[in-house]
Amino acid sequence: MGVAVVKLSDTTLGRVMRRPKGVIAGTWLILVVFVAVFAPYLTPYEYDIQDLPNAFRAPDAAHWLGTDEFGRDMLTRIMYGARTSLSVSTIAIGISVFCGMCLGAASGYFGGRFDRAVTAVIDLTWSFPEILVALILVAIIGPGVTGAMVAIGVAYLALFTRLTRSQIMAIKSETFVEASLSLGASHGHILMRHLLPNALAPVIVAAMLATGDAIILEATLGFFGLGAQPPTPSWGGLMSSGTAHMFKAPWIIIIPGVAVAVTVFAINLFGDALIHALDVRARVRES
Amino acid sequence: MKFNKHLLAASVSIASMNAMAPVVFAQEATIVLPSNTVGLTSYNPVTAILTNAAAFLIFDRLVEVDAARNYHPHLAESWEEAEDGMSWVFHLKQGVTFHNGVPFNAQTIADWLPLYDGTDNAYYTAAIDSIQVVDEYTVKFVMKHPEPNLLYNLAIMGVPEPKSFVAMGENFGVTETIGTGPYKLESFDIGQQTVLVRNDDYTWGSPVAKNTGPAKFEHLTFREIAEASTAFLELKTGGVDMLLSVPADFVPEVEKQSDLKLVSVPGRELVYMVMNVVKEPFNDIKVREAAALAINQQEILDNIYGGIGQVADTFLISALPEAKVADEYRIAFNPDKANALLDEAGWTMGADGVRMKDGQPLKVSLWTQSDSVFRRLSEVVQAQLKAVGISAEIGTFDSAMIRDQYKSGEQQVAVRSYVWDNADIVDWFFGGDRLGYPNISMFNDPKAEDLRAAAMTGSKSSDERIANFTAYHEYVLSQFPVAPIYQPVVSVAYNTSRISMPEVFDAPGIGSTVLMDMAPVE
Repeated sequence: MGVAVVKLSDTTLGRVMRRPKGVIAGTWLILVVFVAVFAPYLTPYEYDIQDLPNAFRAPDAAHWLGTDEFGRDMLTRIMYGARTSLSVSTIAIGISVFCGMCLGAASGYFGGRFDRAVTAVIDLTWSFPEILVALILVAIIGPGVTGAMVAIGVAYLALFTRLTRSQIMAIKSETFVEASLSLGASHGHILMRHLLPNALAPVIVAAMLATGDAIILEATLGFFGLGAQPPTPSWGGLMSSGTAHMFKAPWIIIIPGVAVAVTVFAINLFGDALIHALDVRARVRES
Repeated sequence: MKFNKHLLAASVSIASMNAMAPVVFAQEATIVLPSNTVGLTSYNPVTAILTNAAAFLIFDRLVEVDAARNYHPHLAESWEEAEDGMSWVFHLKQGVTFHNGVPFNAQTIADWLPLYDGTDNAYYTAAIDSIQVVDEYTVKFVMKHPEPNLLYNLAIMGVPEPKSFVAMGENFGVTETIGTGPYKLESFDIGQQTVLVRNDDYTWGSPVAKNTGPAKFEHLTFREIAEASTAFLELKTGGVDMLLSVPADFVPEVEKQSDLKLVSVPGRELVYMVMNVVKEPFNDIKVREAAALAINQQEILDNIYGGIGQVADTFLISALPEAKVADEYRIAFNPDKANALLDEAGWTMGADGVRMKDGQPLKVSLWTQSDSVFRRLSEVVQAQLKAVGISAEIGTFDSAMIRDQYKSGEQQVAVRSYVWDNADIVDWFFGGDRLGYPNISMFNDPKAEDLRAAAMTGSKSSDERIANFTAYHEYVLSQFPVAPIYQPVVSVAYNTSRISMPEVFDAPGIGSTVLMDMAPVE
């Protein structure tokens, strides 16, 4: 079984990487993750040490992407900013996927009053835009990385709860579930071994696409000054400080903007390739 | 082809209309208020603790002040002070009427001044014992004690119509505002904009302005824009005609634009860092002194403000005589002493560059307002504090809301500024009866209160007042509730294709007398 799992993921990833957009997007994402993880080893500069006489330097040999309004190297800030953006968005989506799947699976499988209560609450949050939910939560928790993570996580909870619930509802009436039940399998066994694995594919794709949205949401919170607090860089925070110097030093706002745009585009491309790779019908046709 | 013919006919007719139309000058101008006056909640001249240029156009004052800080007549034509300072007689201008038609006379003054009792601004009139109406246009103030600052206060205090003021209560200054000024309030959207319409009957302008008759613009719109880059973009693209305060950052940008003109006048603003003396760790005077000495004013002047303006080393703008304190009270950058003081206070440097005491790191919350100049300044202050081992986490608040936040008393340290050119600002920000806001530092010291009382009410002459305020100011500085940072100059930028202004501004700031000489470009 272990071998089979490895093989399955290999083939899924393989199928994604077989498509040109999968390769391009995958390469960019690997590069961003690599830069984020190894930032301290890749740059000679510190992200938080100010060098005021060197503020607003245009891109040159010493500072490839120029310096910001405090003389800090922009490339270094972008690299450390990738840490913030990626970790906040993936952890936040991780929170919402985990909680959403638990809630969705339980309400979809057991139904009844619990289901109605969960659906009512989820529908209520679903009726607000994610940014509004996130802003309200940040106002309660307080600005900062933790606040942003929780806020984004809760903002996307509705998506994964609804998605999992609908998947579970569709599969739970299948005959193999009935067969399992008549063989004496517990609810936990059925949920964990039969229902959730079958509901996983669309959740993975949705999680991938939501991560892209979460990066934008994190940047938005950062832009409003509600994300990572200075001197910790985040892409949204960098853009926010760049707005004040748009005329003098346009690179301060343009570069993080490009980083957000390209990364989110890559995530969407990759997600797109993943949709095709995980598509059950396509897999059947290939076999 | 048919279409083209129609188009040609249409353009010919438009061209001929243009040729026939009389030349109409723009009768309205849009002005952006300085970001530090954003959040004004009322134009009530008696209770408001924040004011702006529009308020100075709605209300007139008894006297006006020029650039050299000499006093000139306005609603008062002349005045005499008794030799012992115990009474003042004011001769009022005749023929002045309020916006609602009520005549202005001596009774107006007698009804107006008692309205200050019990408000935050009660100190303006605290020295006046009683007001006597001598005749219709003569009024006499009998004093409790001499008040050398009376003319200064009267040059700030806008005169409202007292009967409407009382009748309208809280609504006065919000829904309707009645003064004798060159403009009437047309609409006021709190936090957004104030629209004024010209008072066509106005003939009683102060001689400090060249124009003493009705204003040249029919409508003036004052907009509140907290963000400097937005305000500058609006000016550049023609959305607004004038910025009353251009941040130093944007001065080179304005100078690059051929249709924009920049006029600089000596500033009345002081940028400073204030510490809460009752909250850890700043309840220890050594930590306060260390934090104050960690601030590198020159570095901030050179890099944040492009070298425009000057550093501050006292709590008062340097043009004031009370700013001339003994050298030992001046607060200037001294990192070695800062480090030594923190060592003495028991805060030892930790491995991560943050000092520790009893297992607790030296971490503070640094509050600031959300506009970009303050955010940037705060980040530099954060780095300068970090250099001596104080870790500051920046908390940003909306510029319009931060004063309410201070009232909670939760602040530890904040970076902010004030605009004022009188030594009584020390009383305003450090008086023991104004804790929270305006006394953000929560400073309440018995010795300071004695010195304060002597300065505010115990001075018989101008010289004595200067000496008393200097002593009070020195004592406050010696307790380090504050670290002075910077004194800007005020740079006004306007669109020369829309507005003409006098070459020299004969006023300490951009007040009503300057705006009265503003005219549309022909």
